[in-house]
Amino acid sequence: MKLVLKFEEKMLKEVALSDRPITIGRGPDNDIHIDNLAISTHHAKIYKDAGRVIIEDLNSLNGTFMNNQRITKSFLKIGDKILIGKHHILLDDTISGEAPAAGPKITAPKIQETVMLDAKARKALLDQALAAQAAGGAAAPAAPASRTGGTAVQAPVPPRVKVPTLAVISGKTDQPEYQLTSKLIVIGKSDMANIKLKGWFKPKVAAQITKRDDGFYIGKGDRVPSINGVPIGSPTRLNEGDIIEVAGVKLNFTFRD
Amino acid sequence: MDIAGRSDVGRVRGNNEDSFKLLPELNLFVLSDGMGGEAHGEVASALAVDTIVSHCQQALKNPGLPMEGEPRPDLTEKSNRLLSAVRLANRAIFEQSQADTNQRGMGATVVAIWVDGERLCVAHVGDSRVYLLRAGDLQQLTEDHSLVAEQVRRGIITRQQADQSKNQSVLLRALGIEETVDADAAEHVLIDGDAVLLCSDGLDRMVTDPEIASAILTNTGAQPAVDRLIELALENGGEDNVTVFLMRVQKVHDGFLLRLWRWLNGPLQQ
Repeated sequence: MKLVLKFEEKMLKEVALSDRPITIGRGPDNDIHIDNLAISTHHAKIYKDAGRVIIEDLNSLNGTFMNNQRITKSFLKIGDKILIGKHHILLDDTISGEAPAAGPKITAPKIQETVMLDAKARKALLDQALAAQAAGGAAAPAAPASRTGGTAVQAPVPPRVKVPTLAVISGKTDQPEYQLTSKLIVIGKSDMANIKLKGWFKPKVAAQITKRDDGFYIGKGDRVPSINGVPIGSPTRLNEGDIIEVAGVKLNFTFRD
Repeated sequence: MDIAGRSDVGRVRGNNEDSFKLLPELNLFVLSDGMGGEAHGEVASALAVDTIVSHCQQALKNPGLPMEGEPRPDLTEKSNRLLSAVRLANRAIFEQSQADTNQRGMGATVVAIWVDGERLCVAHVGDSRVYLLRAGDLQQLTEDHSLVAEQVRRGIITRQQADQSKNQSVLLRALGIEETVDADAAEHVLIDGDAVLLCSDGLDRMVTDPEIASAILTNTGAQPAVDRLIELALENGGEDNVTVFLMRVQKVHDGFLLRLWRWLNGPLQQ
């Protein structure tokens, strides 16, 4: 007898079922190793007992399902459908060839099944990401289970946060300065503008500043803003000390401690 | 307001776990991407959109309807109602998954917008997105609650590394995982010519931002633009369910002064 691992109807692996238990999990030490965060490190095992095949869930987070029922331990028959994460396992009684001792790592398709983290897993993963940052590693951390002990990394010292700020040099606004904290900062007369312009005939949205991965960009609204006296064409990144002029106000962009 | 929405199962998946509901009479639009074993992703995303829509509808009839969670003092009533609806959707999914062991672990992302005159209320959880196309520039209004997006925000990895990471599908926040959820909400002002796009990750993982912007800019109507976006996602692989909603703002109610200004300016400019 053998076990067949499938993903989305695609056959990924076959493992012969001998007298030794077959383990399934995300850890590389499993007989059936599935590299997907929906799978626990040691998720389930399948073994023979008195001529019958038994599947047992090893207290996994996301569960082992047999014919759409969550199970902890159950007899496994030909035709039963086992679901672990999004992978299916079937019992097959056709004669199998040699089982690969250490099969190739199963690579997930480009778009993997979405995994949600609970508070505990989220904290562990973020702590790990921060530790990697503190250790100077720019690479993405691997899945949590692949952390293989070693030296404990000290909690990182949070970097000093510099707050991007716009100070009003001239013109009528509702505040003398503004901290840029949201994704989209509107300069205009609208009640919802972040930087509210006062006075008659000011545009509802004169211009806007958007936060992107690499900084803050100013773009047109009803007016074309100028940076250091030069009118912008497309959205333009703001640099320390830039002077923005739009709709009769002059603003100074700086990063403050 | 010109609106259109469409969902496609894609070219790889067997089922569509996305759900969306458009209520143009209320200017309320909700999109959710579900996840969980077997058909439970569909259950979760449908529960999310249904709960949000029904909470908002009930609140219109009964403004005293209790809010789920603490209202935020910096938001208007309408945004707080939308936030409350998203929190309630979280509770609904969580409770259903707790009650039925088969559905345990199911969850969903959500993006919801409610337009009130020139005010755009946005609430979201997860990695479905809201984009704003204004003056030819496409800007994501939501921050993805995903591990890779968080790593990019913290400067640990670059956007390019994020796009190639195997952790792309790891969400830090989703509906239905815990009893309460930390949902984001924001308000923005809309102006004439804006286009607001809601999408599941089946679009933004398959189609680049410049391709998205170009599809909206080159198709004047909402429906042809939505059709083109779905087509692009499928052409580029269609590896996931893809759901797209687009709203083009053609005319936002103008204030009296602006109308006066235009009227005064009219003869002079001719």
